[in-house]
Amino acid sequence: MDTASPKHAKAAEAFLRDEENTDWHNETLWFVRSKRDRAAQSLPEWEQLREQASQIKAHTLSKLDDYLIQLEENARQNGIIVHWAANGDEHNQIVLDIMRKHKATKIVKSKSMLTEECHLNPFLIKEGIEVIDTDLGERIVQLRNEPPSHIVLPAIHLKKKHIGDLFHIHLGTEAGATDPQYLTEAARIHLRQKFLLADVAITGVNFAIAETGGFVVCTNEGNADLGAHLAKVHIACMGIEKVIPQAEHLGVFLRLLARSATGQAVTTYSSHFRKPAPGQEMHLVLVDNGRTRQLASPDFRNSLKCIRCGACMNTCPVYRRSGGHSYHTAVAGPIGSILAPNIDMKEYADLPFASTLCGSCTNVCPVKIDIHQQLYKWRQVLGEAGAVESTKKVGMTGMDVLFSHPWLYRFAGRAGRWFMQKFPSLANKPSLNPWAIHRDMPKPPEQSFRDWYAQQNQKKNG
Amino acid sequence: MANPTTRETILAAIGRGKPDLLPLPETIGFPPNISADNLVDSFMKMVQTNGGQAIRVTSLAEASAFLSEEYDLTLPILSRVPGLEISNFTPQEDLRLLVDLHLVVLQGIVGVAENAAIWLDETAIGIRAMPFITLNLSIVLSEKNLVGNMHEAYRLIDTSTGFGTFIAGPSKTADIEQSLVIGAHGSKTLTVFLLP
Repeated sequence: MDTASPKHAKAAEAFLRDEENTDWHNETLWFVRSKRDRAAQSLPEWEQLREQASQIKAHTLSKLDDYLIQLEENARQNGIIVHWAANGDEHNQIVLDIMRKHKATKIVKSKSMLTEECHLNPFLIKEGIEVIDTDLGERIVQLRNEPPSHIVLPAIHLKKKHIGDLFHIHLGTEAGATDPQYLTEAARIHLRQKFLLADVAITGVNFAIAETGGFVVCTNEGNADLGAHLAKVHIACMGIEKVIPQAEHLGVFLRLLARSATGQAVTTYSSHFRKPAPGQEMHLVLVDNGRTRQLASPDFRNSLKCIRCGACMNTCPVYRRSGGHSYHTAVAGPIGSILAPNIDMKEYADLPFASTLCGSCTNVCPVKIDIHQQLYKWRQVLGEAGAVESTKKVGMTGMDVLFSHPWLYRFAGRAGRWFMQKFPSLANKPSLNPWAIHRDMPKPPEQSFRDWYAQQNQKKNG
Repeated sequence: MANPTTRETILAAIGRGKPDLLPLPETIGFPPNISADNLVDSFMKMVQTNGGQAIRVTSLAEASAFLSEEYDLTLPILSRVPGLEISNFTPQEDLRLLVDLHLVVLQGIVGVAENAAIWLDETAIGIRAMPFITLNLSIVLSEKNLVGNMHEAYRLIDTSTGFGTFIAGPSKTADIEQSLVIGAHGSKTLTVFLLP
């Protein structure tokens, strides 16, 4: 298998060139992370709530087929048309077929990371369909012709000046306007027209309930509801891991979701769709796209518990300083770095290495996914599959030799100290020593710890 | 349109790959952290935190008087609360006409003190788009229907209706540089009246 190039590191390097912007990105996400902490601390039972959520998800995964069958049966009885898609292509085709059946040409979408994962937008646009993302952040990145950089805050990498310039060109707002209130109002007016004229609405699904055959969509803006209730056809697209057994379990997840995502007590709208409205048509598309493969892997199946809150990204020191786009996948950050290699190991082999393995992601995860441990496991899997970039491989092999030969280790230590004392400028040259990019090497000590220890021993024993 | 092959392939793959059966937790949820005599205060504080306003009234007449002061009642108004007769708008078949709605008043079913989410189902909403498309939304709720947390709410609400939603404030977004803006796509204001 070919080795993957370090795409993340290269893209991050480009992001880091604008130091001011990097600092701002880091601080903004840390601000959201701090809000999450306050929201979590407001509930004394927070840790037990996480545990319950994790156990509900673990149970669901152990009966996933039964719950999907139950969901399908109940949804059908409710009058929802249910579809199954093995991969992104099948998913996209199902959506297109529904559009064709209704001779529909205009679609409004609320945020759905699944449709991002399946690359639905470019597919539909190529088929001549007008696709409008209606979440404000999503609309912004859509107008910029780029993917979202965060699953909850899609335009978090942009400043209001960028958005002011963008809206001036596309929505005719005043040149140089940067007031968020004014810009949001312009987007509201623009998107209202789109809502009113759309033939079909697509939404994601936060939770589907086997017991009721319905599903829940959470937004702050109300865009999913406006789209779904005004269009004649509503297509809801979900990964198969989004099912939960019963409605009462929603109480657990809704208390965790918004607090973990933005620090709010709950999203503004938590809408429970169960039957199509009179005269309307409702579809539910159940998508695998690698999820059954993830389920079959004991090391990685826990990642299917994810409820897509984004807490792991907000806390990740690497994500905050490298920007979401550097992950070159629909779901960025720590959780995305576990999910993506399962879809395409070669393409995303670099991502499990974009982590300090500090464990902060695991600590904030509302469903207790062992994120940093899974990233560590991916590194081993990728190493064994030969998918690690060559420089890393050479370095690892070298270290293996070094650490398994004590005499060589001692010699290398002495040689290194001598070299750094004599030629400090060479040791700090980034082209020779990648460690020295953005930082200086420490001053080498006069003697090794080993020599010092031996000396102390001698002193003590006379 | 359903593809039976894909369905069976997915279900078979799950059957092969799923872990051994793990139990559900014995009890779901937690008792509320808010005592019964603090439900109203907590709820009203959370409405405000969410960007709405909460007003305690003793009668629907009082709520009606407040609304007539706050809003221009000659604009399209629709109330679905029996006893609060300020409607001057009849919904037509064409949902697009709802875009003219200036104010919608609905009867809330259950309110959650911990987060100020209010449950409304199809019987309360009527046409589903209404609470989302109107410029201003007002919800009337009885203090007797306040509960502590979401677990209690799910025990009371009927999830077998066609559509229902928890609404916790006016529509909002923070997608432009994390600045909170009230009034994204949905209603720009939410006024909650708490009746005894």
